[in-house]
Amino acid sequence: MHDLAAEGVKFIDLNWINVSFLFIVGFIGGLISGFIGSGGAFVLTPGMMSLGVPAAVAVASNMCHKFPKALVGAYKRYKYGHVDLKLGITMAASASVGVQAGIKIQEFILSKWGEAGSNLYVSLSFVTVLLIVGAYVFYDAWKTSKSGLGDQVSSLAQRLQKIYLPPMVHFKTANVTISLWLTIPVGFATGLLAATIAVGGFVGVPGMIYVVGASGLISSATELVIAFIMGFGGSVKWAIHGMVDIRLTLIILAGSLLGVQLGAIGTTYVKEHMIKVVMGIIMIIVALSRALAVPKYLEELGIISITQSSIGLLDLASFVTMCAALAVGTVIILGSMWKSRPVAEPEVYARPVKEGYEHV
Amino acid sequence: MATLSKKKPVGKTILYGVITAILYAAAFANSEAVLQLFTRGGAYAALPIAAVFVFSFAHGAFASNLWSVLGIEAVTKQPSKRPTAPAPRPAKRPRPRLRLSL
Repeated sequence: MHDLAAEGVKFIDLNWINVSFLFIVGFIGGLISGFIGSGGAFVLTPGMMSLGVPAAVAVASNMCHKFPKALVGAYKRYKYGHVDLKLGITMAASASVGVQAGIKIQEFILSKWGEAGSNLYVSLSFVTVLLIVGAYVFYDAWKTSKSGLGDQVSSLAQRLQKIYLPPMVHFKTANVTISLWLTIPVGFATGLLAATIAVGGFVGVPGMIYVVGASGLISSATELVIAFIMGFGGSVKWAIHGMVDIRLTLIILAGSLLGVQLGAIGTTYVKEHMIKVVMGIIMIIVALSRALAVPKYLEELGIISITQSSIGLLDLASFVTMCAALAVGTVIILGSMWKSRPVAEPEVYARPVKEGYEHV
Repeated sequence: MATLSKKKPVGKTILYGVITAILYAAAFANSEAVLQLFTRGGAYAALPIAAVFVFSFAHGAFASNLWSVLGIEAVTKQPSKRPTAPAPRPAKRPRPRLRLSL
C-alpha cells in the first residue's frame, strides 16, 4: 500500500550541517520541554522547512519525535512525584476535542481567505495569546519572587474550587478538588491552540496553574502527559499518510532525549517560580518573533504594501528572534541550575580524625 | 572506610550506549531503504511508531545513566504543599430540626 499524499513529497539529503542543526535544536527543545512542559516545536518546524523539508513532512517528523520525548520526560518527572496522571488524562481528553475544533476553524479560514489569511490568523493568535498569557505568567513569577512567599494558589482557582458542580474530581498529586466541567475549557483551549500554533502547552500549563489551581511544578510535568497522548495520536495519523521522515525524527530524538532529562533534573534544583519565569520570557519572545511575520501576510492579502527585500529581512529577523527565545530559555535554565546545584557536603567522614583532637 | 558517594552506573551507560549506537548505525547505514519502507503509509505506519519507542527506550536509558555518571542527578524533594480551598459541600444537607416537647 502506498499513500497518495506521500507521492509528490521530496525527502531532503542529509549533510553534517543539517544533522548538527537538528541535533542541537533537538537538545535545546528537549531541555526546555523537560523544564516547562513544552517548547522547541515552534523552532523545529520552521527550522526544518528552512532546510528544504516540505511543510507536511516537517510537522509530521517533528510530532513523531515529540511524543516519545514527552513520554521519557513524563516518566522521569513521575519518578520525582511531579506528574498528576489523572489530571493529564482528563486534560488530554478535552484537548482532543479542542484539536478537532481548531482544525475546523483553520479549514474555514483557509477556504474563505486562502493561505495568506490562514497564516495571518495563526500569527495573530500567536501574538495575542502569547503576549497576554506570557506577560501574566512573567508578572506572577516576578511577584512570587519579590514576596518570597512561595507558590500560591491563584484567587481565580480558589474561587472555582469552591463551586460545587458534580462530578467533582480530586487530583491527588496536584492536591486539587474541582468540578470536571471547569477543567474541560482548559483542556479544550489547549487543544485549540495546539491545532493553531502547534504549542498547546503555552495555554495548557498556565491554564492548569491559574484555572485548575495546580502548582507550576505539577502543571509543567503533567503537560508532558498531555503532549504524549496528543502527539501519539497525531503521529499515527501522519505515519498512515507516509509523511514521517524517520531520519529527521531520530536525529532530533538523539538530542532531545538528552535535553529532556537534563531539564527534568533541573526542575528539582531550582525554585518553583523559575518555571514560570522561563515560560513567560519564552512566550513573550516567541510572540515578538511572530509579530515580525505579520506584515508579510498583510501584504499578501493586499492590506498593506511592502517591498520584497523588507519581507525577506523581516522573515530572517523573525526566525532569529525565535532561535533567541530558545537560547534565552536555555541560558536561564542552565544558569539557574548551576546556581542552585546541590553542593557536596564536606567529607567529614573521609578524613581520619586524629585522637585527642575531637574536643578541641 | 565506607564512602558516602553512590556508585556510578558506568557499566549500564556503556551497555545502553552500545545498543543505541547499533540501532542508529542500523537505521542510517541503509537510510534510503528504511525511509522508503517507513513512508509507505497504511499499515506500515506501525514501523516509525515502533521504531521511536525502541530508540527512546535504549537512548533514554543511556541518557539517564550518562547524566548520573556525569554527576548530574535530581535532588530529592517533594513538591511543596500549598494551602487550598476546603472541598465544597453540597448545597442541600440535612439540617437540625427544631423540636418542641411540651
